Amino acid sequence: MTVDTTELELLAETLRKTMTSLSGTGLDEVLTGLGWAELLTEARDVAISTVFSLLGETGAHAPLINDVVLTAAGGEAGGTVTLPYAGGAWVRWERTNQPGAALDPELPLHHADEGERVPLAEGRRALGWWLVGTARAMLELARAHALDRVQFGKPIASFQAVRHRLAETLVAIEGAEATLVAAGDELGSLLAKAAAGQAALTAARHCQQVLGGIGFTAEHELHRHVRRALVLDGLLGSARELTREAGTVLRENGRAPRLVEL
Amino acid sequence: MNVEEFRSGVRAWLDEHDLSPGHDGSFAGEVAQLARVRRALFDAGWMRYGWPEEIGGLGGPAVLRAVLGEEVTTRELADPGIYSMVEVLAPTMLAYAPKRLAAEMVPRLLDGSEQWCQGFSEPGSGSDLASLTTRALPRGDDWVVSGQKVWTSLAQFASRCVLLARTAPGHDGITAFFLDMDTPGITVRPLRTMHGREEFCEVFLDDVVVPGDRILGRPGDGWRLAMDLLPHERSTCFWHRIAHLYTRLDRLTAETSSADDGALGAAFLALHTIRCRSHATQRRLADGAKLGPETSVDKVLLATAEQRLFDTARDLLPGVLELDESPWRSEFLYSRAATIYGGTAEIQRNIIARRLLGLGRE
Ligand SMILES: Cc1cc2nc3c(=O)[nH]c(=O)nc-3n(C[C@H](O)[C@H](O)[C@H](O)COP(=O)(O)OP(=O)(O)OC[C@H]3O[C@@H](n4cnc5c(N)ncnc54)[C@H](O)[C@@H]3O)c2cc1C
Repeated sequence: MTVDTTELELLAETLRKTMTSLSGTGLDEVLTGLGWAELLTEARDVAISTVFSLLGETGAHAPLINDVVLTAAGGEAGGTVTLPYAGGAWVRWERTNQPGAALDPELPLHHADEGERVPLAEGRRALGWWLVGTARAMLELARAHALDRVQFGKPIASFQAVRHRLAETLVAIEGAEATLVAAGDELGSLLAKAAAGQAALTAARHCQQVLGGIGFTAEHELHRHVRRALVLDGLLGSARELTREAGTVLRENGRAPRLVEL
Repeated sequence: MNVEEFRSGVRAWLDEHDLSPGHDGSFAGEVAQLARVRRALFDAGWMRYGWPEEIGGLGGPAVLRAVLGEEVTTRELADPGIYSMVEVLAPTMLAYAPKRLAAEMVPRLLDGSEQWCQGFSEPGSGSDLASLTTRALPRGDDWVVSGQKVWTSLAQFASRCVLLARTAPGHDGITAFFLDMDTPGITVRPLRTMHGREEFCEVFLDDVVVPGDRILGRPGDGWRLAMDLLPHERSTCFWHRIAHLYTRLDRLTAETSSADDGALGAAFLALHTIRCRSHATQRRLADGAKLGPETSVDKVLLATAEQRLFDTARDLLPGVLELDESPWRSEFLYSRAATIYGGTAEIQRNIIARRLLGLGRE
């Protein structure tokens, strides 16, 4: 199967619709039906960037990170694998709808015993796309609110402090996305996950502030994305840990690798 | 010539021809070194690639200029700031100058025989450039210009100036002129900067007569010219600057004995991020895209990365720039200007809010 752009756009549209109504095992099944495993073999990079950024933008979730990590290690999609988490912890993202104790209660994420070392670069890229999608979702919520909400007789979008927070968020998102597009090797993927985690945390902070009181409620959608961002940031290494690791690579290397060339 | 051939050709040539600076570190020495590097690269042909034939170029894609600049900067042959000014001035001439004028003048810029400057900012008009008041009045076929410019980089060394002046009210009343700096009535006074180099000047204009055929575009095109120049600044010039900052990150990595890998990694991440972003921008440009307000994102990422890098240098080389004469001192101080020149950090965020996020007016 070759995937051309129009096919991909159609698929993305279908997925977006599906993801607005389905999550977890339900979404997992639909994706299996749509040929997710084949897509992962035949159009790996676009499949990963499209599907994972849509998860972020729609707020849906599915246990697909397992498939990316399993297939990167030469295995088959469809199972689960123990994944490293920030602070030296290990977790499993189960293919059930049974929630764990994670900050994001929708996710079937559970503590696990130490697992085997698996290649992480592609998984980090996938999570990077997810985090960037989540950040975009938060920015869109805050942007809509800023245009809508009137104080002192004008939309709060007219206040420069508000505008600059949203601008700052967009800069972080666009920068992270550029690192994802450019990421090929191990170090590039590590940096991209760090940039994406940082962008999502920046978005969470600024967008929550712009939303004021309503953004602190469980009735507004924002908190779901904030929780997701916080949890995903730690998976396969947090922005903070990965940034430090990049610094270690630099010091040991003695020179900063130029990872993209004209 | 493709990018790979060009890059390896330039590298081989530079390995053979030693253009290392031998000057005293003064700004005048820096400017002389720039002229020397340009002359040599022009004569060898490298400086001419990526420019059209009508201005003395050898053709080929513009990205070759970014590649050349990266090599020059990485080898520390010339100061990246003044090296890159060509990237703004020459495309402006190509787009707006009468053909004969461009053909006559631009080669002098490319081959290092002249320096030029850009007279936009005024004492009363910085961020609000459109409020500029230097005026040009018609007299016969000529124009007579009076007013004052400030922060004009390289003005004391420049033979020509791309100058904005008011010929009528409003944005449409700004006109661009190509001025000979030895015209009677021009006084240049270098300003001392906090990093100890006389990089920019005040320029006083007192009834300066400019011939009518020295208008760039038509009367009233000045604002459009100023806006059109930004994409040039934010593609090739940025790539040069990023290459320069990588050399400083390398130097910091080599010199620090601190094991604060978090700080080092954060500086690297910021720099890697703008390199990736700028790479995507160059690619869009090569595909024929017209660059617009989205380059404000590049500008914010670059200025932030630059300041973070030098802040990190100060943290990881404790006391060095405070207590000792070292290049870190002046470069750290210079990095403070990164959020001022080329449109301040706040102005970039205003543009992003208005044009990219559609937040309406303030
Ligand atoms: C090293 C250097 C080289 C330069 N070289 C040149 C050159 O060669 N040619 C040339 O023409 N100019 C040059 N400049 C000038 C540069 O373009 C201006 O300094 C810049 O546009 C800012 O103008 P200003 O200094 O008057 O600051 P102002 O515009 O007065 O700004 C002061 C502060 O107010 C903020 N501010 C202003 N307006 C707003 C707003 N609407 N919203 C929020 N905040 C706002 C700014 O962000 C800034 O923080 C150079 C400057 C430097 C530092």
